[in-house]
Amino acid sequence: MKLHTSLITFFLLLSIPLFMFSQEEKPLKTQGLFEKQVKHLSEEFTSEINFVKAQEFYFKEQWDSTLVYSLKQLNENSKKIELNDLCYFFRGFSFKENEDFKAAKKELLKISKTFNFYNYVHIVLARIALEEGENEKAEQYYEYIKDVNTFELCGVKKSNIENNLGLKYLHSKEYSKAETYLLKSIASQEQEQDTLNLIAGYGNLASIYYEQMKDDKAIPYYLKAYQLSKQTNDFKAKRNASLNMSIVEENREDYKRALKYNIEYHKWADSVNSEINELEVERLENELNIQAKEKEVTVLQAENKAKVVERNGLLYTALVLLVLLGTTIYFYKEKIKTNKVITAQKEDLNELNTTKDKLFSIVSHDLRSSVNALKTSNAKLLENVEAKNLEQLDGLLQTNSSIVNGAYNLLDNLLNWALLQTKQSYFEIEPLRLYSIVEQVAYNYKPLMLDKVITFENNVLKSSRVNADQESLKIILRNLLDNAIKFSKANGFIKIYTEDTNKGYYDLVIEDSGIGIDEITIEDLLKESTLLPKKGNKKEKGTGLGLQLCKSMAKKNKGHFKIESKINEGTKMIISLPKTKQNG
Amino acid sequence: MDNVNILIVEDTTEESDALIKVLKANNYNIVGVATSFKKALELFYNNPVDLVVIDIFLNGSPDGISFAETISISPNASKPFVFLTSSTDRKIFERAKLTQPFSFLMKPFNELEILYALEMAFEKFYAQQDVFFNEEENTIISEEHLFIKKGKSLKKVLISDIIYIEVEEKYCNIITEKEKFVILISLTKVLTLLDNTIFSKTHRNFIVNTEKIIEIIPSDNLILLSGNHKATLSDKYKGLLKQIRTLK
Repeated sequence: MKLHTSLITFFLLLSIPLFMFSQEEKPLKTQGLFEKQVKHLSEEFTSEINFVKAQEFYFKEQWDSTLVYSLKQLNENSKKIELNDLCYFFRGFSFKENEDFKAAKKELLKISKTFNFYNYVHIVLARIALEEGENEKAEQYYEYIKDVNTFELCGVKKSNIENNLGLKYLHSKEYSKAETYLLKSIASQEQEQDTLNLIAGYGNLASIYYEQMKDDKAIPYYLKAYQLSKQTNDFKAKRNASLNMSIVEENREDYKRALKYNIEYHKWADSVNSEINELEVERLENELNIQAKEKEVTVLQAENKAKVVERNGLLYTALVLLVLLGTTIYFYKEKIKTNKVITAQKEDLNELNTTKDKLFSIVSHDLRSSVNALKTSNAKLLENVEAKNLEQLDGLLQTNSSIVNGAYNLLDNLLNWALLQTKQSYFEIEPLRLYSIVEQVAYNYKPLMLDKVITFENNVLKSSRVNADQESLKIILRNLLDNAIKFSKANGFIKIYTEDTNKGYYDLVIEDSGIGIDEITIEDLLKESTLLPKKGNKKEKGTGLGLQLCKSMAKKNKGHFKIESKINEGTKMIISLPKTKQNG
Repeated sequence: MDNVNILIVEDTTEESDALIKVLKANNYNIVGVATSFKKALELFYNNPVDLVVIDIFLNGSPDGISFAETISISPNASKPFVFLTSSTDRKIFERAKLTQPFSFLMKPFNELEILYALEMAFEKFYAQQDVFFNEEENTIISEEHLFIKKGKSLKKVLISDIIYIEVEEKYCNIITEKEKFVILISLTKVLTLLDNTIFSKTHRNFIVNTEKIIEIIPSDNLILLSGNHKATLSDKYKGLLKQIRTLK
């Protein structure tokens, strides 16, 4: 008998960790209120990132991470007791799961009494006490919670505690206490319809009676456990139940049954082993799979890296090429611009050169004819002097003087033109009295006009004052008057007057009753170029240099120059010059 | 009225001759022709000169400018002048321009141009712009002379010769010991430009040279002046009496 009991005790002992194991493996889906409340809190304190993470990991049962984040949360020294308590709780529970019971107890004891789930703390503490074999303490904690309804928390159930307490007392042979707790445990397990634990409960209760040799009470419970075990798929439960039954039958010396149970036991034991093997194989397979996957992941990562590098390389190359392209285009454009400028300059230079050449030929031609005329005239003069034909002398001398005057004017214009081009000459814009200037310039032409019977009127208002350079204004007037006389018919008139139509300007008009100029010639004359207009009408005399000078000088004096003309009626040459602002 | 005295500084005889001819024809008095810087200074300081006509280039160097510079820095002797030049060289002009007041004439020039240039020089020098050109005025007042435009030319009158001035609308009758003539000038200008320690207003229409006063008869409101001239002394200006006593 003694042997039997010890045997049974052994099996029971064996069965305890097994059963406990299966209990703790139970999925944790029924936390309900606790999880709800914690989630609710985490939503409320989304800013407490560490708390949110800690609770997340807690519910995922990743204990180490839970420990880390809860510690972080605590280190923030938040004044929120609710959060702190939860963190302590998470830590205590995590330590317990990691089987560091001392640390677990330490953390759990820090929780304030106001903690909403203080009962949970008791459960866990009780559980720890059990693990450490301190039955009385466990009982004490149990006392706190025994009146509370069903508790279940991460695999720790009230019934579980009851069951374990019962087992502990069974070991210490305090059977009556053990019986009480086991009965309570069975009662709550029956309520929960927790088959597996119920099998263990029945088995354990049966063992108590069996130990006390109360076979009559024990056997029905063993049978109950055996019957229940048939309903489950758990091979261990089946195995333990049938083993117990075989031992019981053997002790009752019903070997036939014992054998039957024993066979069953072996069958289940094999199943358990195969299951374990299967599990092992599965685990290994999984590991292999995981390794393969990891390798794959590594390869993919490497590939990704390579791709990223390649892509970056392409991007940089593209950028560099773009910049190069931009620079090239920029320089190319610059070059084109410079080329354009150079071409324009070259054209200008060519134009100027042509002008100069033309000017040269025209001027030298004119001078040559003038001098030639003078030569001829002088020869005549000499003849007449020799012949003492004094009456002719006067006329000849006058011809000479007019030839010389013409040549002088040409040379003067040439000099002024050269000075204007080289910008060497003195140029000072100052207030000028138009009337006086006109008088002074016209003075030189009076004899000529008298000779040609042209009436001259200076109708410029004495009050008209303009801002201009005196010498250039005189040059303009000389040329315009010269032209007017040159192209006037006998008995014509020349009038000079100002018009005040243009705001800020005086229009100085030199009007003649001469042959006039056609529009095409006017356009030619006024062209914005340094080119000398072609010598058109053969009857016309002059180089065109005079008008060019007038245009350039007017421009230099910040004025304008224009021509109005009607063929055979007359011409108006108009220079607009800025008015002098009258001060007082 | 006297002719205006002109000193010519010109090294080319033909040109100076032509100039002299034109100026004489317009009643200017030529005090001399200098052909060098030294001669010019000599003539300038030893003759009563009213204006100098200066050729910038004397024997190839711009001594004309040096001469102008010399006479313009001696304030008491300084006189108006006109530069003559045939070159528009900018550098020369920049230098000549520093001799303020600057007036110049380009060669070749005609009669009108030289006469105009002389008038401009007077206007600029005595800072009385637009006098000879304005139809309402014809007289410039310097410290010693009145320069009056008569026809194309200028005449001068020694201010100390004036006995009294009678204002008649826009005109002023100038009465000197020898003659009597009319000038165009505004009364205010006369009063501001004449030396008011010598000339005093005695009546709305009379300005009297106090140095020419022989006798004042306040009861008759009469002032007897030298040369048997008489001027009116109105009550408003009797303060003059005090002034004259203290002066004498």
